[in-house]
Amino acid sequence: MDPINFVILASILFAIGAAAVLLRRNAIIAFMGVELMLNAANLALVAFSRMHGEIDGQIMAFFVLTVAAAEVVVGLGIIIAVFRARQTISLDEPAELKG
Amino acid sequence: MSFTTPEIAWAPLTPLLIVLGASAVAILVESFVRSPETRRRTQLVLSLVALVGAAGAAVVQWATLDGAGTVVLDGMLTVDRQSLAWQVLILVFGTLGTLLFASRTRAGEEAFTPLGASAPGSSDETLARRKGLQVTEVFPLALVAVGGMMLFTSVTDLIFLFVALEVFSLPLYVLVALARRRRFLSHEGALKYFLLGAFSSAILLFGAAFLYGATGSTSYAGVAAGISSSTGTDALILAGAVMVVVGLLFKIGAVPFHSWTPDAYQGAPTPVTAFMGAATKAAATAALLRVMYAALYGLNWELSWLFWVVAIASMLLGTVVALVQTELKRMLAYSSIAHAGFILVAFAGLPDTALSALPFYLASYGLATMGAFAVITQVRERSDEGTVLGEATRLGQWAGLGKRSPWLAGAMALFLLSFAGIPLTAGFVGKFVAFSAAISSGAWPLVLVAVIASAAAAFFYVRLIVLMFLTDVPEGQEDAIEIDYSPLARTVVAVTAVLVLLLGIVPGPVLSAFENAGVLLLGAGG
Amino acid sequence: MVNTVMFWIIAALTVIPALSLLFARKAVHVAMSVVLVMVGLAAAYVTLSAPFLGMVQIVVYTGAVMMLFLFVLMLVGVDQREDLKETIKGQRWIGLLAAAGLGAFLVSIIGRVTLPTADTMPSGDPEAVAIALFDRYVLVIEVLGFVLITAAVGALVLTHTPRLRPRKTQLEVQRDRVRVGADPVNKPMPGVYARHNALDVPALDPEGKPIEHSVSRVLEIRHQTQEGAEFRAALEDPSRKEGDR
Repeated sequence: MDPINFVILASILFAIGAAAVLLRRNAIIAFMGVELMLNAANLALVAFSRMHGEIDGQIMAFFVLTVAAAEVVVGLGIIIAVFRARQTISLDEPAELKG
Repeated sequence: MSFTTPEIAWAPLTPLLIVLGASAVAILVESFVRSPETRRRTQLVLSLVALVGAAGAAVVQWATLDGAGTVVLDGMLTVDRQSLAWQVLILVFGTLGTLLFASRTRAGEEAFTPLGASAPGSSDETLARRKGLQVTEVFPLALVAVGGMMLFTSVTDLIFLFVALEVFSLPLYVLVALARRRRFLSHEGALKYFLLGAFSSAILLFGAAFLYGATGSTSYAGVAAGISSSTGTDALILAGAVMVVVGLLFKIGAVPFHSWTPDAYQGAPTPVTAFMGAATKAAATAALLRVMYAALYGLNWELSWLFWVVAIASMLLGTVVALVQTELKRMLAYSSIAHAGFILVAFAGLPDTALSALPFYLASYGLATMGAFAVITQVRERSDEGTVLGEATRLGQWAGLGKRSPWLAGAMALFLLSFAGIPLTAGFVGKFVAFSAAISSGAWPLVLVAVIASAAAAFFYVRLIVLMFLTDVPEGQEDAIEIDYSPLARTVVAVTAVLVLLLGIVPGPVLSAFENAGVLLLGAGG
Repeated sequence: MVNTVMFWIIAALTVIPALSLLFARKAVHVAMSVVLVMVGLAAAYVTLSAPFLGMVQIVVYTGAVMMLFLFVLMLVGVDQREDLKETIKGQRWIGLLAAAGLGAFLVSIIGRVTLPTADTMPSGDPEAVAIALFDRYVLVIEVLGFVLITAAVGALVLTHTPRLRPRKTQLEVQRDRVRVGADPVNKPMPGVYARHNALDVPALDPEGKPIEHSVSRVLEIRHQTQEGAEFRAALEDPSRKEGDR
């Protein structure tokens, strides 16, 4: 089976992640959607790396992994700060900023 | 398998090394200096020395650059006049931003919360304030952001582009959440900025993966070569290119990728808004320029519709929505969206002149932005008991400001006129060069829309000027506004005002300097 | 080439749990499903001759990142349900359709692409990875250090509280407790009754009456307790036997 099928799989996961970011009102779930998108990109990179017979795509996946981990730390830090302040993490609740 | 140590040309990276190195030292200062006040002073001096030193190093490099520039590490980074011009610009914004970060009100309050972890209004927060705690980590965070942005302007590899994007985005997400007053807004702005920022970087990364898949390379030169010799992968290349560009448009804040802008601008502490409004836009524009000219130039025709649509939508939406805003920071946020549209006008058709026009445009826009937000930090509300509160950002509160403080109001008027593009201000020259670049590539319908949008936008800038100078202070409101005095913020206002005027009256030297920067070092690397 | 059976297993293992991101109500369920997705992706990496990356994926993603998510979910309250009511009517369906469109679009693009697969497999073992990392990509590694520093400093700035008040001694804690009229000693343990030494049964006081506050508050909220009243009734009316209930 051609490795390009994994790129198709990655695209499907990417779309699911994007939908989660746009649809879910819970900040943590939306954030998990972003993580899924980054992982989909990683899968595509690794699949392409296999197709080109080079290691470069894998190396990029390593960088993405590191960056994603750092991003999670900052993101969850912000989410905790928001939660401490107002005891909810719904993206709808804070209606102070609209318009 | 054997490993040979790679040859790295360190010398061209000197400005970058200074800034990032200083940020590492600043983190150590955080951990070893106990007293908040000493720490703040040390950080301020360290940041300023590093930023000014780096700017000096960049200028020296510019002067002594032999040939077109240097390609570092097989196409990972390219240091040429174009990237040095942007680096100097970002360093200037960084220096002014640092001054604003350190500015205090007359009562000695910073713009940042004394304790980021405390809930707003909690007893912990009060206690932290009484104990004189300060979040001095903002200085190293700002240094990292500046370093990341400088990197962002000179990377020539898609994966490095993604990493640099994160280097400067992560500190900004944190900084936005640290406002001293109205921290609910600040948190909310940070959360939205973060989620949409992470979303956009994921899109950029997926696009980069597609381009790598289609061309077998991530360096811009390799991608450009792959595009011109592609067989059977056109669709993949185009989809990847669109996603990379969309990821960058998010950072520029163009419609329909703008929804974080008003919230982040309003919620962030005003010094952070100033820095991010000026520097992020410059860095993202620089990166978009390099991606378009060095990697995706072959897709010029296929991508031009994207720039047309986004530019028109940004100019129209930014202008129309700014017209109805009653909150000053939000109004400037929407005006920044309109300016994103004006920036993208120069991208239509990718004329060579855009490479020298856009640095000038961003210089004029960024200086005026920093100045305008610096003025905002100086106009504050006062309660009935006479205590000075947060910034007065409702438009109505600015009525009669010209009588309260003619100089401050005059400077604000100058910045607004520059935004509007009135002659004798930097904004006029900036718009002129950007639009003539677009005309040179035949995009005159777009320029027509841009000129109409500028004229409409002038309305709400002028409305504020009229409010400041021709309206009286409302009855009984004489004591509701306090004009604050912070030497650092006033310095920023003065410097930016002088520069906006200078660039407007004698733009020649800077324009010709940027013309030298209009040549990209292409090729090399695989 | 890749084993077809393996591909379909991985596809099922990733796509089905990933759908929980759209449809599951509880954040914890979503987090657990995403853990499953990450394991599936690790398997995919191994299949695509990137064994080391596969291991790292398990360690970093399932081991660290998703556990961090779970920690935070515990912190903000597992029971936080998201109300799925819509601010704009039909927004959900429009969003789903748009996402499905995006997916279909990307898939159709890849379907139109002819890209040959190289016969040589990339070597994804740690040695090859290390050589590549520290050769052309060494600057990226160095810059990544700053991403990590920022993450650490940012998280500390947003969540760390230094000690603002002097630490209370045990004596002061006890005094405060008495002052507000709370129990000076521990609460009685639940369920020390001959037949029901379970956590959900209240303890009995010396007079044989149930002490209702001896049962954990959590169980009460979840309605998982035995009613104290029941036992009281049994005591007051000896003719009713416990077994009759």
